[in-house]
Amino acid sequence: MITVSSWGIAGRVVGPGVVGRARLGASRGGAVDQGSLALANRLVGNAPDAAAIETSGGTVVSFTRPTMVVLTGAAAEVVVVDGPPLGWGAPVVLPAGATLRIGRLTSGARSYLGVRGGVVERGVVEREGAVHLGADPGTPAATVAAARPEPSGVVRVWPGPRADWFADDALSGLCATSWSVASTSRVGVRLSGEPLRRGRDGELPSEGMVEGAVQVPPDGQPIVMLADHPTTGGYPVLAVVDPRDLGEVAQAAPGTMLRFVRL
Amino acid sequence: MRLLPYGPRAVLAEFESLDDVLAADASWQGMPGVTELVPAARTVLVVHDDGFDRALLVPPLPGALAATHGAAEPVLVPVRYDGEDLAEVASATGLTIDEVVELHTATTYRVAFCGFMPGFSYLVGLDTRLRLPRRSTPRTRVAAGSVALADEFTGVYPRESPGGWHLLGTTALPMWDEGRTPAATLPPGAHVRFVRT
Repeated sequence: MITVSSWGIAGRVVGPGVVGRARLGASRGGAVDQGSLALANRLVGNAPDAAAIETSGGTVVSFTRPTMVVLTGAAAEVVVVDGPPLGWGAPVVLPAGATLRIGRLTSGARSYLGVRGGVVERGVVEREGAVHLGADPGTPAATVAAARPEPSGVVRVWPGPRADWFADDALSGLCATSWSVASTSRVGVRLSGEPLRRGRDGELPSEGMVEGAVQVPPDGQPIVMLADHPTTGGYPVLAVVDPRDLGEVAQAAPGTMLRFVRL
Repeated sequence: MRLLPYGPRAVLAEFESLDDVLAADASWQGMPGVTELVPAARTVLVVHDDGFDRALLVPPLPGALAATHGAAEPVLVPVRYDGEDLAEVASATGLTIDEVVELHTATTYRVAFCGFMPGFSYLVGLDTRLRLPRRSTPRTRVAAGSVALADEFTGVYPRESPGGWHLLGTTALPMWDEGRTPAATLPPGAHVRFVRT
């Protein structure tokens, strides 16, 4: 068992989410940065779909028995009391009684604490003071630490379904300048920059949206959709992020810059 | 039907009418390689695996919808018509409260699509006499189970949320069950009747 004395900022239990229910109004959910969840699971020897703890900092947990953990995703200031230090991407067995604090994130927007056996998910948002662990997977953990990829800030995009709702150069406009990340949540990333101009007024009848859709509200400041995005929306979608670069968007912290490149 | 680009793993099929949308949605169900099928007012979003052949997305034949949905049994939604806006809806439509309830319970609705939140279903077929624009100021809190209407739609709030629709009453029938397939009580294409209790 892991005792959670503080969930911190947006701390919660996440798995890979559920695909196939967008038609019922439910987007995928689960880990915002799927690649970092999968990496955490690989490093501790879990199945790829085991659940972990996602946090944007301030999460404090302690362990009732020796437990192998790993940190992936955003780099963070990590302190372990009564146990060995925990670095990024290197699985470590913390002894019973150890306390782990994931403090301020130093690069990126979301860290993942992978746990050997996986966290047993109980509900979408875990608000209890403890989480339970699954059975040991029986498969070996990684013996070599992973290297942390430096964020490139470059995001490849495809034209979206409503590119024709914008002034001729809007897709070029999206790709011509850098965008500052105004805020990020599980729903999406709000960008700030030179406003994109619509060529057409009015609203669309609501239509389906995908993760990575670059939606443009009337103020011309784009929003890139993430794991908990609304399944339908009425603002035109100018572009869509290549699935390979969704992690880059998921880890874009407020104040960092993103640049889009057209595929 | 027009296919609009949506990156390497999705395409947006656009149609002339909601009937065409529902027909395409029904005929494309269960297609191998499709991971999400999301009907909306005039479109069906198709999310698919790499290597999916988009040529399989053939528009349905005219009349396909009637063949698919003609005999469906409606889901019955019991409603206590005690909503905060019932009197206001009556006065705005020039009807009595009883007439509003009679009209709302007289129609078999069809779920056009879901959205807004898990299990929020947009039902079409609302009597034209009951059509009102959304409230000018949305409520910050609408109770779970609230039965409401706005524009051409009626529906039920699955859980407490902000909302701008006119509240007619409440139902105890849950709209979402995580452990059930489908989790939504009123999935796209379903027929629905409201019953006064």
